[in-house]
Amino acid sequence: MKSPIYYKTKKITLNVLIHLFLISVAVSCLFPLVWMIFASFKTQDTIFKDAALIPKVFHFENYYLAWVKGGFGRYFLNSIFYTVSVVIGIVIISSLAAYAFSRLQFPGKNLLFVMFLVAMMIPIPGSFVALYILLNKLHLRNTPAGYILCMINVGLSTSIFLLKTFFDKMPKELEDAARIDGCTKFGIWWHVALPLSKPVLAVVVIFNALNVWNEYILALIIFDSKGFMPLQVALQTFQGEFVTNYPLLMAGLTITVLPIVLVYLFMQKYIIKGVMQGAVVG
Amino acid sequence: MRRLLFKFSILFSVFCFLFSALPGCAKKEGMAKKTITVWHWMTDREPAFQELASRYEAETGIKINFELYAPSDAYSQKVRAAAQGANLPDVFGILDTKKDFASFVKAGYVLNLASYMQENNNSWKNSFFDKALAVSEFSEGNSYGVLPGIYGVPIDIMTIQMVYNKNLFKQLGLDSKKPPSTFQELIDMGKLIKSAHLVGMVSGWGEVWMIDCFANNYAFNIMGKDKVIATIKGLVPYTDPDWIKVLGLFKDMQDAGILSDGMIAMVNKTAEQLFATEKSVFAFNGSWCVNVYKGMNPDLDYGVILPPKASENFPMAIWGGAGSSFMVNAKSENKEEAVKFLRWFTNSNQQAYLSEVTNNLPANKECLNKIPEVLAQFAKSIEYATHPNVWDVSEFPTVIEALDKGIQSIIIGEKTPQQVAFEVQKIKERELAKKR
Repeated sequence: MKSPIYYKTKKITLNVLIHLFLISVAVSCLFPLVWMIFASFKTQDTIFKDAALIPKVFHFENYYLAWVKGGFGRYFLNSIFYTVSVVIGIVIISSLAAYAFSRLQFPGKNLLFVMFLVAMMIPIPGSFVALYILLNKLHLRNTPAGYILCMINVGLSTSIFLLKTFFDKMPKELEDAARIDGCTKFGIWWHVALPLSKPVLAVVVIFNALNVWNEYILALIIFDSKGFMPLQVALQTFQGEFVTNYPLLMAGLTITVLPIVLVYLFMQKYIIKGVMQGAVVG
Repeated sequence: MRRLLFKFSILFSVFCFLFSALPGCAKKEGMAKKTITVWHWMTDREPAFQELASRYEAETGIKINFELYAPSDAYSQKVRAAAQGANLPDVFGILDTKKDFASFVKAGYVLNLASYMQENNNSWKNSFFDKALAVSEFSEGNSYGVLPGIYGVPIDIMTIQMVYNKNLFKQLGLDSKKPPSTFQELIDMGKLIKSAHLVGMVSGWGEVWMIDCFANNYAFNIMGKDKVIATIKGLVPYTDPDWIKVLGLFKDMQDAGILSDGMIAMVNKTAEQLFATEKSVFAFNGSWCVNVYKGMNPDLDYGVILPPKASENFPMAIWGGAGSSFMVNAKSENKEEAVKFLRWFTNSNQQAYLSEVTNNLPANKECLNKIPEVLAQFAKSIEYATHPNVWDVSEFPTVIEALDKGIQSIIIGEKTPQQVAFEVQKIKERELAKKR
């Protein structure tokens, strides 16, 4: 029989080791972000010459220059517009579709669902040319509507999969109770299924918001007019083929990252809950 | 409350689609003024392009709409998609290989500019460096099956050479006006560099095309162009003693301590940073580096040299030619105006302005006296320039990959030059057999 001191020491040592490991992981995750923020206050010259993390002189004007030179005002609004529209579109369509796949019986249901799953495997760059030609024929190329429709389409498969997994686990008794209370199928979806799926919806919202916010290659291909471009394209202003304006790029990146960090912080509670419930299993 | 939220979501979605469709309709208006649309990928040149566009509009009343898209691989996809959708602009650049360029020409998307170039006793054609024009030129009987002609207007040129740090030369007790002119002199400097604990040469050899470029320079120097082309055609094996000599140069450089540690995994951005911050004595880089070094360290004092020759048998060759070119859309209604604009754009005044602002080498040779010294040093070597795009034959990508990766293996001491030559030849024979 070992002494209690042995067990206590073992526990403390284990805790210290676990915490050291977690701290090192946290530092390695946060360091690039911290470096980006400090680099955004440096000059092009000092970024390369001064290895210190914290700059000697803070050049706050980099943020003003990034905003003005990169035309961030217009692009920022565009990105917010695209993100909100796409996320709303995905939440409405995917929750309806997932509910139908989970609860309704109709011919070809499984085949259709498998087709959605297969769509998850196709990387979006693989369909650029096909999308371009399709949008061109529909006269939707170089219009925000075309871009929004494409992005909704991109996010649907994963979102339907996540929500269907959740709806499959939802007790049927809840629906029966709602039906006795006079709810239609649409009413059950709206009054029962959707409120219960808040944690999964939070995951769907954050994943898709991140995806739309960070997307720029499809935008670059289907838009000709700069006025329609999202925020990520503005960052390319500072990154040429051979020359990169690092201070302005870092300032631009900091501006770009802020909204998505805020969304994450705002929905953190639901996201963790959603992930804990196994919403992303599979 | 929930009902309200639902209604709001529906209303918002409807509003989104209506709002987003509107700009698409509005685009068709306001086209009274003639506009030439130009697509390019170098976003860092935007201010210079816009300035020239406003000057042209002031002179002619024709609006030039420069649309710049980066990164270059996304731009390439955009151009390809636009070609398939028949949406190419009046003027555009093609970034891909000559084979892809040829497919654009054969599909009828690129205007043959030969007749325009030849007007007034070839005045437009003669204003360019021949090597710059060669990249967009298809000669009689070319292997791509394209009608002979000139299908692009070069806007700048580039050469890939070696640069050396003059301050570090002085620190090593060397004469900064006498950089190494032979490969042996370079190897001898390795001992000095090693003892001073400095980094010898840096380059983006993690991006294998730069190794290919360096190896080809020495292949031309050791065996001459004809033998290199004969190798590509499959008439000379890679196991030829001359090729083994070329591969051996990499081992010699590594043994002498010329090559930086981690060179084979180094991206060019890192190499540029190391040279600009005066940590390495040499760098193998393209003329675009002038702009890069200026941004990183404006006080950097450096000179430009051809890679030191390893043989007296043939002249040293470097990769170079047109940096980027503009093509005119053969199906555009504005093609005549587009040609006029390009003629103006490549005139010596505009080219000097572009070079001054962007630190790139001008394609127009008539403005060389107006550009900074270090750029002129890069430009002077254009006579040694060559490029796979002008050889009319191309090596199998698998062979290039095997050669480049083999060189990386030699540098890390994993394989000998003979082993690599044997392996590359084996792949070459396999590809030739497949072709037959």
